[in-house]
Amino acid sequence: MGTFEGLSYGFASALTVNNLLWALLGTTLGTAIGVLPGIGPALTVAVLLPVTFGLDPVSAFIMFGGIYYGAMYGGSTTSILLNTPGETGAIATAIDGHQMALQGRGAAALTTAAVGSFVAGTLATLALALFAPALASVALEFGPAEYFALALLAFSAVAALLGASLVRGLFSLFLGLALGLVGIDQLTGQARFSFGIPQLLDGIDVVILVIGLFAVGETLHQAARPRRDEGGPVRLTSFMGMSREDWSRSWKAWLRGTAIGFPLGVLPMGGSVIPTFLSYFAEKRLSAHPEEFGHGAIEGVAGPEAANNASTAGVLVPLLTLGVPSSATAAILLAAFQQYGLQPGPLLFSTRPDLVWTLIASLFVGNVMLLVLNLPLVGIWARVMLLPRPLLFGGVLVLASLGVYTLNRSLLDVGLLYVVGALGLGMRVLDVPLVPAVLGLVLGPMAEQQFRRAIAISDGDLSVFVTRPISAALLASAALLLVGPMLLGRWRRQR
Amino acid sequence: MGRDTPLYNVRANRGGRILSSHVLCVPLLALATLAASGAAAQPQLDELRLIAPAAPGGGWDQTARVMQQVLQRTGIVTTPVVENVPGAAGTIGLARFVGAERGNGDVLLVSGLIMLGGIVTYDSPVTLADAVPIARLTGEYEALAVPAASPFRSLEDLLAAFREHPESISWGGGSVGGSDQILAGLIAAAVGVEPRRVNYIGYSGGGEALSAVLGGQVSVGVNGLAEFAAQVDGGTLRVLAVSSAERLPGVDAPTLRERGVDVEFENWRSILAPPGITADERARLAATVDAMVRTSEWRDMLARYRWLDRYLPGDEFAAFASAEERRVRVVLRDLGASAAPGEASTFDPYATFVLTGLALFGVAAAVVVRRERKGAVASGALAWRPLALIGAGAALHVLLADSLGFIVAAALLFWLAARAFDARHPGRDLAYALCVAVGSYALFDYALELPLPAGVLGAWL
Repeated sequence: MGTFEGLSYGFASALTVNNLLWALLGTTLGTAIGVLPGIGPALTVAVLLPVTFGLDPVSAFIMFGGIYYGAMYGGSTTSILLNTPGETGAIATAIDGHQMALQGRGAAALTTAAVGSFVAGTLATLALALFAPALASVALEFGPAEYFALALLAFSAVAALLGASLVRGLFSLFLGLALGLVGIDQLTGQARFSFGIPQLLDGIDVVILVIGLFAVGETLHQAARPRRDEGGPVRLTSFMGMSREDWSRSWKAWLRGTAIGFPLGVLPMGGSVIPTFLSYFAEKRLSAHPEEFGHGAIEGVAGPEAANNASTAGVLVPLLTLGVPSSATAAILLAAFQQYGLQPGPLLFSTRPDLVWTLIASLFVGNVMLLVLNLPLVGIWARVMLLPRPLLFGGVLVLASLGVYTLNRSLLDVGLLYVVGALGLGMRVLDVPLVPAVLGLVLGPMAEQQFRRAIAISDGDLSVFVTRPISAALLASAALLLVGPMLLGRWRRQR
Repeated sequence: MGRDTPLYNVRANRGGRILSSHVLCVPLLALATLAASGAAAQPQLDELRLIAPAAPGGGWDQTARVMQQVLQRTGIVTTPVVENVPGAAGTIGLARFVGAERGNGDVLLVSGLIMLGGIVTYDSPVTLADAVPIARLTGEYEALAVPAASPFRSLEDLLAAFREHPESISWGGGSVGGSDQILAGLIAAAVGVEPRRVNYIGYSGGGEALSAVLGGQVSVGVNGLAEFAAQVDGGTLRVLAVSSAERLPGVDAPTLRERGVDVEFENWRSILAPPGITADERARLAATVDAMVRTSEWRDMLARYRWLDRYLPGDEFAAFASAEERRVRVVLRDLGASAAPGEASTFDPYATFVLTGLALFGVAAAVVVRRERKGAVASGALAWRPLALIGAGAALHVLLADSLGFIVAAALLFWLAARAFDARHPGRDLAYALCVAVGSYALFDYALELPLPAGVLGAWL
């Protein structure tokens, strides 16, 4: 079956009244549960899968599509409104999204997130349908050396944007790196800095750090700030969503976010932190208003949200063409596919084209449903910000505790959350940026592990990083990102 | 749609759990015994919690969810529920199971060979012997595989290169201390190479390991045979050997033993009950599992997931598990993967770099802050009273959640936090606090089946 033939077959079987209802149900449930903090997409899909037992394969896939995209999208809502990202893909969204909500522009932030998710999801699903097999073979070229180089590239993107607060930013970064040392060393199985506490063996979950620094830290800061006249309730500037300017600033960010998110999602490395933050940094660098970033720039929401959804679709490329699940959510989907006799792998597109194309068509349908469902809700969600502050922040703390507890069902984690919250307060008071710490925690272990893995495989030969072309190219762009602006500045002065 | 999928199922009688396990179990057991002597009728359980000591998506989680599905479809258990308690190769789940679930007759823990690896590697104080063995359920053979373009055409090619220069062969598989590394160690020992010299590259997820093998990043992949199946069918991977005793139907590869490597190995999964349950409760759980493995639904699932039927109930399973534990201990010690608490810690260059950097920039940042603050006008000190209120709320919340339950602890946190912002409406704040606490408890515990501590209110919930 060719691509277009396949797609039209897929749509023909997906577009029935019954199946559209299943799509709506899947999207609704996926979004509703994905919204709850601490319940990430993997758990959402796992909790909802039993709902699809007993459906015929086509209807079940339609529901999967809705649940999958719904769960991925749901995380952005709490991120924007309550500064409480429930999963890693929504962290970047919180930075400017929550600032927008505080300024009463929550509806615009939610709208750009919803439309951006739709645009990115649709384009990325199209790319999936057209290029999946070719992309998968490129992704396999990525070994430990390339992942290490990618981590360095992300580090230099962070460093390049620290700007004026260089010392504070580096302190924050090293704080994150230090927290990343905690836990079992993946290469030797030895515990490091876990102080004999078994719950620390798997390291500190990035969600705990983020909710602690962002949500709890912000709550403490708001409570402790000397009373000023701005303490009143938020005034909503718009219930209807985005202004003309918002649209014109968003659409490029959506496209760039898609272009960054999809290829990085295809890599079997897992995780949506790198694509979302690279998109955030790209937007900040390219924006005509870089000073607005961190204070409610709409591109800072549009780009990362698009990148998150595009990488979500990208994850399906290795899953369908190689049978490689690159995230926990993908592993659950893999098991679900197997239940319907669908064995993802190199033969899938030729053995069961009917099911594959139905699945791809359902992803398109799920995306449309997501938009249809969420746009009308934007105005309602945005009113959360009108709650009196004591109730709003009391609710934030309860939701933060709940979300962290559900991660590992450990009260120790909840205790850790408040310790991190106190740290977040301290950092806010001293103007230390929070984001470098989060990236340090995510990227540090990745860089270290991949570096040592590369060295172990090459039996101690350091030259692998420069002799492998992709790795060398990534390292060169990392260097360029750091030194480039300096050289450019000098060149301009000389002219 | 299933007639009572967990999402919609509101547990009718949760507080009745204690009741059901003591009062109801006698007649139920009698019924079960009758049923066993009779014929078609099956033992019925109202509720059964299946704990997967891993995050959603892995082998243990799949086992738990497949059990859930079979038990529910066949009506053996009315409301089977899956809970995930991830961490440290299952040892965190095991420790919690042995502690917090002591004496609960309605809960089972999924476990297996990899948990033994975790117990040895992380020197866990709790072992499988601390729980009550119910049965071994499934097994999976392991395979060695290389990409189609690999220079290693056969097991002999690979082993020749391995003997020549062991470190030049990188073995890619799952986490350190898990079944894949154990097999690599067994093979090394069997061909006369010191297991310590196995260049094993552990990956945290099955997908990551598989793509490393497919992309030729490692010399050879060690993993469950089923993980490689789709690629082998598609001709992108070649299986060099399987770890079974005999050749497997439909797999075009020799066994290790057939090629002179005296190793036979499979990755088994099992289920345990908590300690402190009565003999009746144990018999009832065993009967439930026994009924499950006899259903055609269970056999269908085994075929779909390519799991082997390795059902071995009760004491025989306990004897098997302790023999396996001894074997794993020896292999992991030889591999140098197990924790050696007495050993002097080796120099860790990365950790040293990070901690030095943290100290340096900490001092530098302190200097910068001090210099800035000197010139600036005092920017208003922090208000300490609200911070103390929230701090107290958080501390009470964490300390009391287990004993008083989530509802009380969360309401307390909400109320104190709200008072930190505005102390004028204690009554209104309390009302909202209770609503939020009860509402979120109901949502998570009943609608989503993600249990929260019930505490003192347990009897009413």
